[in-house]
Amino acid sequence: MTDLTVVGLSHHTAPLALRERLSVSTSQVERELKTLMAANGPFGDAQVGESLLLSTCNRVEIYAEGPDAGATIRSAREYFRTRVPEVAGLYEHRGAEAARHAFRVASSLDSMVIGEPQILGQMKDAVDAARRAGTLGTFLDRCFTRAFAVAKKVRTETRIASGAVSIPSIACELARKIFGDVRGRRALLVGAGEMGEQAAERFAQLGARLTVMNRSGERAATLAQKVGGEHRGFEHLPTELTNADVVLTSTSSDRFVLTSALMKGVVRSRRRRPLFVIDIAVPRNVDPRVGGFDNVFLYDVDDLDQVAADNLAVRREEAVAAEAIVETEVMAFESWKRSLSLAPTIVALRNRFSDVVRAELERTMERLGGLNDRDRVALERMSDAMVNKLLHQPLSELKRGAGGDGDRQLIEAARRLFALDEAREHNDASLEEPRSAQLAAQGKRK
Amino acid sequence: MSAVGSWFALTALLYAASSCFYLAMLLRGAAVVGRYSRGVLAFAAASHAAFLLQSGGPWGTIHSALSLLSLGVALAFVVFARRPSVEMLGAFLTPLILVFFLGSGLQQGVGQVSDEVRSVLLPVHITVNVLGFVAFALAFGAALGYVLQERLLRRRRLTGVFERLPSLDALDALGLRAVVIGFPLLTLGIVTGAFWAARLRPGVPLISPAQAFAVISWVLFAVVLLTRVSVGWRGRRAAIGTIMGFVCALAVLVGYMVRA
Repeated sequence: MTDLTVVGLSHHTAPLALRERLSVSTSQVERELKTLMAANGPFGDAQVGESLLLSTCNRVEIYAEGPDAGATIRSAREYFRTRVPEVAGLYEHRGAEAARHAFRVASSLDSMVIGEPQILGQMKDAVDAARRAGTLGTFLDRCFTRAFAVAKKVRTETRIASGAVSIPSIACELARKIFGDVRGRRALLVGAGEMGEQAAERFAQLGARLTVMNRSGERAATLAQKVGGEHRGFEHLPTELTNADVVLTSTSSDRFVLTSALMKGVVRSRRRRPLFVIDIAVPRNVDPRVGGFDNVFLYDVDDLDQVAADNLAVRREEAVAAEAIVETEVMAFESWKRSLSLAPTIVALRNRFSDVVRAELERTMERLGGLNDRDRVALERMSDAMVNKLLHQPLSELKRGAGGDGDRQLIEAARRLFALDEAREHNDASLEEPRSAQLAAQGKRK
Repeated sequence: MSAVGSWFALTALLYAASSCFYLAMLLRGAAVVGRYSRGVLAFAAASHAAFLLQSGGPWGTIHSALSLLSLGVALAFVVFARRPSVEMLGAFLTPLILVFFLGSGLQQGVGQVSDEVRSVLLPVHITVNVLGFVAFALAFGAALGYVLQERLLRRRRLTGVFERLPSLDALDALGLRAVVIGFPLLTLGIVTGAFWAARLRPGVPLISPAQAFAVISWVLFAVVLLTRVSVGWRGRRAAIGTIMGFVCALAVLVGYMVRA
């Protein structure tokens, strides 16, 4: 039976060395999909109708819809094997499992860092590429539209994305909690360790004015240029400390660079304006006593790691609630999928027509009044005959679809033309569309 | 229960409910409850206003001042604290409002001002003191938030309450603004009070314990403002000064209540 399948590998199952060999750059995804779907390509043989390729640094996955799920999966595996013969760690899901996987990936429940936001953008890019390649149809479109909606719901209804988990973002979050806004604040980077650089860049991105200070002036100049800041010589350290709001230290010095004596003077000359000092260096660059000064907030690497661990723990707890949301949505998606099969559509179409005709008939008979039973039966028979005749052609056309399953596009068209899903939603609480989706649909109809 | 009594009970109930809502919002991050807390407080203030209109005085007593004071804090908070993070300060202020309101009902009608004490200065004295107190209550909420937030930041307790409270900068700025507004009002309040007392009872020493606390409170707020300008004392020191100043102002109220 036709169904959704996914075959791929991720950071859970395959090492980076393998993932990078299989990854497809954004610009190449479209071409790769066309090759896959070509008549002589891997999916051509399996008569796959729709496909999508998701390639990020943590995963390479192929989502597909075809008449024979088994054949689709075999072809997808074959595709990976053609690209890297010794490929290992491939997983496969079909049906509800595949939808669940897509929803979990979109919601960042399957990510290396749970709750990280990039995956959603990468998935949207993958959908766009598939649309451009012409390999996205009703089925996958619906699946990924739902996946994005699930992801949004998970983000708003749980705290899965709460609390920063990387050192640069934790530093920025803390700065926000001290200064309200980082924009326009002065950040000073002392030394040019890699993590310090990353954090400084993050501050610059958020609109902080950055000053870079390093023993090697050249390196400081390069970084300053890269992030649009300025660089100063080490001799200006006390002045710059007085002007700064945030100080990041990441030198390789084995003695304190920001000593207690130096900072005492600095605190006085800056008239006790709050100062946030982030010491990312090991060994430490800042005398721990500085953390006890009035309005000076000092965080070292251990502190930041601890914050990251705490926040990750919160995210993991929240993941339980997120999984429940995913589960509900998988059930809704399965329910929609079932509605796409032929039998329920025929029943719904018949009901739709006879409901309308019966209702009109009742009204007319009431208005006419004084009809005897024979007249009534005759009129009812006539209306039934009209429904049957009107539906004969559309129904046989629907039934003619391939493989006894019906032509999915035709079924979808019929459901939309006669608003069958709407009628169904009234009757069937199990297919609960989110309110927003209903509103959007109504808006479109208007 | 009389109509007035019913309004009083309803108002107390609504203030209590809003306290619970704000506390749940701050301590447990209860978003669902949080959506209604502001509305409940607004309803409580409306019910409070209805109660005041129904009761029709007596005005000019310490109890009515306390009642006006709690209404003033509630209204000021509903109107000014709109940002979600600042709204969290409701957890500190709504219990205070509730206590003031209940206090105002303790001896309703007792301690009425005798005719000889009445003067044109009385309404002025009460108005400026009530307004000043409202400002200091807001400053107190911000200062309490600051001290708590700073403590959490220094102890690296960064999940939960820390996430929900405003930034240190915002709390410091809010506290300063409120003290700047409250200070001249308190000054005027003390001056009118002293002037009136001197006229009323010539020869009697001006300083009663309650008045002493008013002066201490004034000095504390003056120190908070002066040290900020001169040596840049801000943040925790300013917050602690503000809290102490407010506690002294509370002592003045308690003093009057006891005397009444």
